Amino acid sequence: MTKLEAKNIVKYFKHDSHQLKALGGVNLEIDDGEFVCLVGPSGCGKSTFLRIVAGLETPDEGQILFDGKPVTATGPERIMVFQEGALFPWLRVQDNVEFGLKMAGIPKEERSQISKRYLDMMQLTKFANSYTYQLSTGMKQRVAIARALVMDPDVLLMDEPFAALDAQTRDLLLVEMQLIWEKTKKTILFVTHNVSEATVLGTKVAVFSNRPSKIKKLIPINYKRPRLAEDENLLPLQQDILSELRPEVKKG
Amino acid sequence: MKANIILKKIAFYIIIVAVWQAISMTNVWPSNIFPSPYEVGEDLAYTAADGSLFFGIGTSILRLLVGLAIAIGGGIVLGIFMARVEVVNQTIGSLVLGLQSIPSVAWVPLGILWFGLTDAGIIFVTAIGAIFAVTINTYTGVKNINPHFIEAARNMGAKGTQLVTSVLIPAAFPYMISGFKQGWAFAWRGVIGAELLFSFLGLGFLLNVGRQLNDVSQVIAIMLVIMIIGVVIDGVIFKRLEDKVMSRWGLR
Repeated sequence: MTKLEAKNIVKYFKHDSHQLKALGGVNLEIDDGEFVCLVGPSGCGKSTFLRIVAGLETPDEGQILFDGKPVTATGPERIMVFQEGALFPWLRVQDNVEFGLKMAGIPKEERSQISKRYLDMMQLTKFANSYTYQLSTGMKQRVAIARALVMDPDVLLMDEPFAALDAQTRDLLLVEMQLIWEKTKKTILFVTHNVSEATVLGTKVAVFSNRPSKIKKLIPINYKRPRLAEDENLLPLQQDILSELRPEVKKG
Repeated sequence: MKANIILKKIAFYIIIVAVWQAISMTNVWPSNIFPSPYEVGEDLAYTAADGSLFFGIGTSILRLLVGLAIAIGGGIVLGIFMARVEVVNQTIGSLVLGLQSIPSVAWVPLGILWFGLTDAGIIFVTAIGAIFAVTINTYTGVKNINPHFIEAARNMGAKGTQLVTSVLIPAAFPYMISGFKQGWAFAWRGVIGAELLFSFLGLGFLLNVGRQLNDVSQVIAIMLVIMIIGVVIDGVIFKRLEDKVMSRWGLR
């Protein structure tokens, strides 16, 4: 069943006097429960595309359909995880995770029951009372993911969430992310510039062309899970993706 | 603070008092023009003993607190509107910058004309002297909020006053603290200046009484009290608050 559909999304980047066509008609259909990784040359607008799906930006042409209905604003069924987490430094970890529930007016007791489950899932229970400045970058991203999952969204939108992590932490989170996806059955859109990350996580990898970008190729990845970053069987797939990407990067 | 810094400070103040005492003992100026530290201390003891000192301190601080509370409340509201509503910034914003350049004592004639020789008049001068510092710092703070904080909060369902109280104010708080600190400094100058000119109770009034009685030692004694209160509030209350907020927000 189609969960999300992007129909001919066009977006201009506006600078003072001139404008730049960033997205040149992106079409993409995503089924319920898919894990789609978006890769592309830097500046191609893949993060902008994600923000349009989130409803944080509006496209200049085209539309996003969620369950067949056009997206006009941000909503709790499509939750974004930002690159640097965007955690609230004035709140403890647990209060960060419960933020969306509090906004929805859910009573304290119930909130802490729900957040407990996700703090546990992300192995954050020990840090429930910490402030974010006391956490490592990897821990912060765990909190950001827990904060998003608590909302129980249909779609998780992740904008290069592991870009700032060291290699070991990233490898660990790549495995956990697969487990979370299998456990929660969320539909996930995951922007990354890391091709290996894309092949480890995705059920499909969408390769963006250079500006004005479209989806150049949609590559399905059928391989057993949990996949590890160092798995050599993924290398040919990574080569495929890189051979699609290389000419685009050169154009840029 | 390190012990040797404290020692240096103590030595410095002992030297000042000793030099002061030495000059007064030369009798270059008569003691009614240049009193000795001992005479100033004696005067302080008299005003403390008859209660007028503490009544003066209490009156001034009460006016300060009321005026500052009004300034903080009003300044936060005005600052947030300026930061979030462009038309308010373009119109009222320019006026705020102009009004901030008026020294608070320049409001005294208006305060007297509008409120008469009352507490309300002095509080008016105090509040209006402090409000624009709070406004401008709140404005800067809200303008400098990481846009991802606001996007994440809206994505998780925060809107309207919820967004203001759960994100805008806490996120801007480090800047707002500097606004409170500046505001308090302006308010303290404002309240003393107004009391001096209104000549209606408080430490400013005691200064004025000292002048009318040609009592230089009373004038100096009250000035010392004003200075000590300033140092205590600044160094104890605001410094602690600032340190705590800065480290919690991960800014230090």
